[in-house]
Amino acid sequence: MNEEYEPVEGLDRASKACVRACEAEAAAKTASDYQHIVWAYGILWALFAAYGVLLWKRASRQRVELLDLERRLRETP
Amino acid sequence: MARRLPTVFLVAAAFIFPYCVQRIFLHTPIEREMGTAQKIFYFHVPLAWLMMAFAIVAGIAAGIQLRRGSLRAEATALAAAEIVLLTGIGVLVTGPIWGHATWGHAWTWDARQVTTGLHWLIFAAYLLVRRYGAAGSDRLAAALAIFGAVNVPIIYYAVKIWKTTHPSNEVVGSLPAEMWASLWPALIALALLSIALLLVRLRQELTDIALDEAWIRLNERGEA
Repeated sequence: MNEEYEPVEGLDRASKACVRACEAEAAAKTASDYQHIVWAYGILWALFAAYGVLLWKRASRQRVELLDLERRLRETP
Repeated sequence: MARRLPTVFLVAAAFIFPYCVQRIFLHTPIEREMGTAQKIFYFHVPLAWLMMAFAIVAGIAAGIQLRRGSLRAEATALAAAEIVLLTGIGVLVTGPIWGHATWGHAWTWDARQVTTGLHWLIFAAYLLVRRYGAAGSDRLAAALAIFGAVNVPIIYYAVKIWKTTHPSNEVVGSLPAEMWASLWPALIALALLSIALLLVRLRQELTDIALDEAWIRLNERGEA
């Protein structure tokens, strides 16, 4: 008997090899699951970037309003 | 110095973030059961902590606003609520992506997920009331922010009170040293970035208040 294969109840050598192959494939897939990582990190950075743009646009609006206010102050006697 | 604080924090975060990412991917072992997807943890968990911390800040500031009528406290509550919304989206996006990879389902109506979702909705409601509410609605909004802060312990203890698929709070404490060494920089970088954004937003809100007052005075002067 091949020592590599311990006798397991209900599993012949072929089935056991098949299960091991499936487990190895699943383990490799889990260890190289970059799709979820890319989505999670991508969305995260995009969120912060979008908020940064929002703050920048708000600051630009305030600058315009401040200039308008200064102009009106100069015009008001 | 106070004016430069957001810039200092942003620059510091810009240096720490690349260090974090290289540490997470090159120097932290892959978790045996969850595989590569577990690396979402290093930003998901700090984001959740920051979301809860800023909710408490918003709640306390809203309480001061209600008690003393402080405009500065009102502005702080508003800025903190926006950061809660931002970090909350981060948590609610990265969590289900991680769940999809490890549980097979993005959303399982888990108690931690539901309480976090409700938390986000409370602060979304706060910002909507602040933005579109009629005169005097700032007090109602402040009450919402306090309610949101009260929800923080419910989120924290959700995994203890109810049966959940979400990992327990003790998981973080039992992490090996290599994982902690990657979690700390991620937490510091995200905290610096969030505080910088909060300070910028706070300054903008105070400028808005000052501009409004200036316009009112100018109009009064014009009418006189």
